Amino acid sequence: MKHSDLLIIDDETRYADMLARRLELRGCRCEVCYNGGDGIRIIENEMFLLVVLDLQLPDIYGTEVLARIKKIRPDIPVIILTGHGSEKDRQQCMKQGAYAFIHKPLNIEKLLAILNEIREKSA
Amino acid sequence: MSYGILSKLKLAWTELDNDQKEQLGPYLTFTDYREIWAMGIFLLGATALLPLLIVTIIHYQLIQTSVNSEFILRTERLTSNTRRVVTFFLDERLDALRFTVNEIPYNDLTASDRLSEILSNLKLGFGGLTDLSVIDHKGTQLAYAGPFKLKGKDYSRQPWFIANQKKDSYVSPIFKGYRNVPHIIIAVKSVRSDGTWFILRATLEIKKLMQTLSSYKTGRYADLFLIDRSGVLQTPSEFYGDIYQKLPLETPKYSSRTQAVMTTDAQERHIIMGYAFISAKTTDTPFVLIVVKQKDGMMGVWRRMQANIKWFVGFCILTVIIVITIACTNIVNRLYHADKAKAETMALMEQSCQLAAIGQLSAGVAHEINNPLALISQTAGYIKDLFVIKEQYRNDEELIENIDSIMEAVDRCGRITSQLLGFSRKFDIKTQNVNLKETIFDVLVFHQKEAQYRNLNLSVDVPEDIPDIETDQGKLQQILMNLVNNAFQAIDDGCSLDIHATREGSDFVNIVISDNGCGMPEENLDKIFEPFFTTKARGEGTGLGLPITYGLVKKLNGSISVKSKENEGTTFIVTLPVRIQKEKDGNENSIGG
Repeated sequence: MKHSDLLIIDDETRYADMLARRLELRGCRCEVCYNGGDGIRIIENEMFLLVVLDLQLPDIYGTEVLARIKKIRPDIPVIILTGHGSEKDRQQCMKQGAYAFIHKPLNIEKLLAILNEIREKSA
Repeated sequence: MSYGILSKLKLAWTELDNDQKEQLGPYLTFTDYREIWAMGIFLLGATALLPLLIVTIIHYQLIQTSVNSEFILRTERLTSNTRRVVTFFLDERLDALRFTVNEIPYNDLTASDRLSEILSNLKLGFGGLTDLSVIDHKGTQLAYAGPFKLKGKDYSRQPWFIANQKKDSYVSPIFKGYRNVPHIIIAVKSVRSDGTWFILRATLEIKKLMQTLSSYKTGRYADLFLIDRSGVLQTPSEFYGDIYQKLPLETPKYSSRTQAVMTTDAQERHIIMGYAFISAKTTDTPFVLIVVKQKDGMMGVWRRMQANIKWFVGFCILTVIIVITIACTNIVNRLYHADKAKAETMALMEQSCQLAAIGQLSAGVAHEINNPLALISQTAGYIKDLFVIKEQYRNDEELIENIDSIMEAVDRCGRITSQLLGFSRKFDIKTQNVNLKETIFDVLVFHQKEAQYRNLNLSVDVPEDIPDIETDQGKLQQILMNLVNNAFQAIDDGCSLDIHATREGSDFVNIVISDNGCGMPEENLDKIFEPFFTTKARGEGTGLGLPITYGLVKKLNGSISVKSKENEGTTFIVTLPVRIQKEKDGNENSIGG
């Protein structure tokens, strides 16, 4: 099974690509997909340390994607990264087991810090 | 008591200062309370007093009319009685002469001795007779009895003789005659069997008549006298001149009846003048009886009554005005207080509507800007990554600095949008029992490190008697967090921050957060809860922290107030209900959309 560090699910293609490249520059292996359906399929086949998930996706709403990911792999940490998320969304996501709920714009160092934290835990 | 009245007369609307006027002015239903007040007093006063005044005036005039007619009646009666007496005086004497000519034979009458005898008899009977004479139809005096030697005198040219030729009897005006003594001549004519006639003439002293008149005089202000038909005084008058003088009043027109009229005399005195034309049974006389009464003298009772009426009406008017003024002031004060309360509510509502509108707008803006902002940030970050990694630009400080400034600017925008979203965020209130002390410590945990580092003195005092309060813990934490953050920014290293709680009655709890930092000027205190108001350097504050706090406190049915003195410190007091009222949950969307 292929093993990457991070899966980025975000419909804003340029944003997702850019984030992936920046993380790769910092030594992370990233995969990117642009809708919920693709994301779920990838999760089914691959292992990741961390999933970064947007809420506003063209096919399936983020909370639903989160629920399905958790169903497939309950242990995988999922960070919600959204530009629009409401308090209600935040509460729901945390209830569903999201690891963190972060508003865009993202501070990349913060994301790296979380990733390191997870690495340390799983090591 | 008097204090009570005075306090009721306080005009509440004058207490509004200019700031309040500006703030509440547009929401007050009425603008000019002074006018309403004055108009109210005027209308109520007019309604109450006009009927009183009209009735009083009508009544006053009725009384005056009846008093006047009573005076006239009394004067008329006096005139009429006096007329009867004067008429009787003349009739009696004329009758005596008539009796004499009818009963005494002509030859006896022309005999001087016999005539003297008759004169003395008449003097005994009536008194006041001076002389008696018999004159034939040619005017020659045939016989004379009296104190003067007048026998043989010719009277044919005398006016009284000429007048008496045509009539049976005659009464002369007051007459001086040959002796220059005022007297009246009365005469009767008698026709003899041969067809010739003679006249029996008597001279009367007017003293007797004057005595009779003055015996009818009543009171100091009455005046009784006789005039002739041309207005010349025949007896002396007390106020209007002596005998033979012209009466300085208008001579009345002939009337067979006794009359009384109101008029004024030459001295402008109001008088009632009664008059009667005197006529004897068998002849007219030249006399007019005049009775003058001065109105002022008769008015005593009426004047006292007038004064009483004036006092009573004045007292009534004063009472009515006082009562109406108090009532009106009271009513307008109540109206004003109700209106002010309404205006305050409306002003508050508009403020929350403004907040809601800002919330909606900011939510929209935040949503739309956030994604491109994220992209800019990411792209800038990537460019930086590229340059940092490529050897060529790694040490180009200017380039790195510029990219950093882009990213910093984006960060700043990000902070604003996330706060805007916070401002607009809808939230349900989830109530639970919250221990205040624990909550405060939970919040302070985040600041512990900074406090140590900056050598700040934090103190918390929540007395044992502060109950757990039923509220939303998350919101309360956010409120405390915002206020503590605020305080940390306001104080210098080494200063202190004090948080303590007090009870406010049985239903409320105060959380007091005070610092001894830089404080705020007074003119800013009104504005700190308004969105986007900030005194921080450009770019450092969003001006949304305190409005959000304000909104949150309102959500929890609480209130927030602030006291501050420049360079001495600031104190925020958050008052929260011990039990949040459920029915207020319905307006949870009042902030944000």
